[in-house]
Amino acid sequence: MSRTKNKLVSQSHTTTKAGTDSVLESQPLHRSRRDFLKTTGAAGVTILVAGSGLAAVREASAAARKGGTLVHLIQPEVPTLATYLSTSSPVSQGGTRAYSGLLEYDFDLNPQPSLAESWSVSEDGLTAQFKLRKGIKFHDGHPLTSADVKYTIMEVLKQVHPRGPNSFREVQEIETPDEQTVILRLEHPAPYMMTAFSSYESPIVPKHLFEGKDLRNLPYANAPVGSGPYKFVEWKRGQYIRYDRFDDYYKADMPAIDRLVQRSIADSATRTAVLERGEVHLTGFGGVPYSDAVALEKLPHLEVTTDGYEMFSTMVWLEFNTRKAPFDNQKVRQAVAYAMERQWIIDNVWFRFGKVATGPINSNIKHLYTSEVRNYEVADGLEKANQLLDEAGYKRNADGVRFEITHDLTPYGEEWQRFGEYVKQRLDRLGIKVTLRYEDVATWLRRIYTDYDFQVTSNWLHGFADPVIGVHRAYHSRSIRQGTVFVNGSGWSSPETDKLMDDAGVEPDPKRRAELYKEFQQLVVEASPIAWIHEIKFPTVYNNMFSDVITSPLGILGALDRVHLS
Amino acid sequence: MKEFWKRFSRNKGAVIGLLVLSLVVILAITAGFIFPGDPFQSVGKPFEPPFGEFLFGTDTLGRDVAAGIVHGARTSLLIGLIATVLAVGVATIIGGFAGYYGGWIDDILMRITEFFQTIPSFIFALVLVAILSAQIENIVFAIAAVTWPPITRLVRGEFMAMRNREFVQACVVLGMNDLLIIFREILPNTLSPIIVTGSLMVATAILIESALAFLGLGDPNVMSWGFMIGAGRTFLRTAWWLCAIPGIAILLTVLAINLVGEGLNDALNPRLRNQ
Repeated sequence: MSRTKNKLVSQSHTTTKAGTDSVLESQPLHRSRRDFLKTTGAAGVTILVAGSGLAAVREASAAARKGGTLVHLIQPEVPTLATYLSTSSPVSQGGTRAYSGLLEYDFDLNPQPSLAESWSVSEDGLTAQFKLRKGIKFHDGHPLTSADVKYTIMEVLKQVHPRGPNSFREVQEIETPDEQTVILRLEHPAPYMMTAFSSYESPIVPKHLFEGKDLRNLPYANAPVGSGPYKFVEWKRGQYIRYDRFDDYYKADMPAIDRLVQRSIADSATRTAVLERGEVHLTGFGGVPYSDAVALEKLPHLEVTTDGYEMFSTMVWLEFNTRKAPFDNQKVRQAVAYAMERQWIIDNVWFRFGKVATGPINSNIKHLYTSEVRNYEVADGLEKANQLLDEAGYKRNADGVRFEITHDLTPYGEEWQRFGEYVKQRLDRLGIKVTLRYEDVATWLRRIYTDYDFQVTSNWLHGFADPVIGVHRAYHSRSIRQGTVFVNGSGWSSPETDKLMDDAGVEPDPKRRAELYKEFQQLVVEASPIAWIHEIKFPTVYNNMFSDVITSPLGILGALDRVHLS
Repeated sequence: MKEFWKRFSRNKGAVIGLLVLSLVVILAITAGFIFPGDPFQSVGKPFEPPFGEFLFGTDTLGRDVAAGIVHGARTSLLIGLIATVLAVGVATIIGGFAGYYGGWIDDILMRITEFFQTIPSFIFALVLVAILSAQIENIVFAIAAVTWPPITRLVRGEFMAMRNREFVQACVVLGMNDLLIIFREILPNTLSPIIVTGSLMVATAILIESALAFLGLGDPNVMSWGFMIGAGRTFLRTAWWLCAIPGIAILLTVLAINLVGEGLNDALNPRLRNQ
């Protein structure tokens, strides 16, 4: 086992020797003699090339940009590579490399060409047309045509994908007049659908391999065949997943690296150590703790970025159970929202990896977000909160206590515990006596989403690229679904906000849509069924021997097709 | 009693241990006076180094580490004492009956005891706390549940040895009630090994509680040394005092209890007394 690992790692080292210097320092000192010989060999070549003139130097640097093995650390361990069946972070990190989507997105979430070189949506919002590139191939050499796209959306994504049935719910039929043209006919306009064509959200699968088979039990689940930048080679369970460059990738000259290796390490301290030593080059989405990311950032060979999560719009909040006292009272909810010092929480609990949240829609979604809502992040938050509690009729008793509550903590790690401790001591100053409760994940989920046996809990949800996909589920009355997790746990809804969401969901005009969502945000923030704390900025750590690592709002869940040696 | 002190003080370590332990007990009792208010309340900037504005510095949320230590002493000692009393109580009853009656009663009670003894104790405690939820009562219960079997076996052995002594047989002949014989005649004679083992058990209980809290299974509403180490572990490289100070507190307390236990052993052990 360790032999194979060593080999993979050492190959990545040797290929980089010609072009980098600072990495050398970061390599472990205890290298085998064979590695040493390889290294000197490669260095010798560089010297020779450098000696033969300027043109050759340019050639050498171009050559240095090509090749290399990127070792990607995925946390937690990858269970399967079937990204058409699961959208969980390890599955997507493991499998997305093999697939392409119709579109890509820039950091402002505007669609960009990918498999589709052009696209258009009719004015009434009922037809979407995509024009595919010519000559796209799957990894097995079979051409990718409109038939594959139709099959993928109708038979795979709409049937077995976790979010597909929602994203493509309005798609009635798909026409494929020729091999390059895909026409989606919708029942109602679906403006959010245009955010759902990435390789992560909607991977295009090969019809000729999938058709007529049991989709939940395919050999291609763990040996993916797609049209993505990297071709699956092998998966040694418990050791590594290996992808090689796909030579017939539709983007010429991409990817520049030869090989992508994915590993998982259970222990977080070890994960940090292997990044430090340069044995792995990339990790994100909780791969290293926030506090370690701060320390790693100071190392010369590592970069830490918070880009590449724009498509997830993850938010941390306090969710009130509005079904019973005291949080059935809007003023009490607002008081708690006023009492929180969001920036302090970001700085001290999340190590600055966050941005103050103002309401239900993440500020990433620039065209729909508004900051013109009631602002709870104010300097005199405590006074405002005390005043609201007085108005709500919760007077302090002789001990200065207004009422007692139990605060449930999100059982996802240390920062949630620290956050809970902060909430406890902060609410103490309002005269709210807090008892903290920390349970395992299953118990906590049952308590919040099935038994509704809680008062206030910390929580987090991905808002994704469009409110219909990620935001409605936390506020719509239809999303109060007992037993379904990560939906509307607060139990709050109102006919007005329901209608605004329904209307905005089928509104093709972007300006009108933004107005509907503005009103929605103002109403929800006023009612405060949730006290929004911050938008998490996950750290991604990568070795700077590679460049252009994070080039899409999907970050490490994107294609990683632009990455190259520095 | 005078004799007892003489024997106890002959062991220098035990005297030092007793001094340290007394200090910890005093700190625990006066915690509310020295650091009034909630030790979870943040009092200053996060990560203030020790021996500055705050004696032991502040932690990641700006909480006073010294306040945590003093309030944590209360938690640790309380948990140690209550869990030990519980464990020793259960062990005395079960071990006493098993040792006194023997036969099938002994068989049944000992098989039950061995059943508990074969489960790795810390893992068993983890499971119990995970199932019962992390509240201080449940933690005490879990610690007692994993520490009673060894004491039970000790008590049983002592009772078996006493059972056939002449004074016990005399009581039986006199027609004395079994319960009276067990509690009034045998128990006082087996008390010294139980006290010694019990005193060492307090140290074990403190360690188990710290380990549980370290793994995030402490009561989140109660300040304890294990909790402080667990919360500070992430910052070992940047803020050493978050782990080092509560670590030293645990070390000193556990060491002191062990030394006192040794001293008690010297003072109470009848074999030494006869030498």
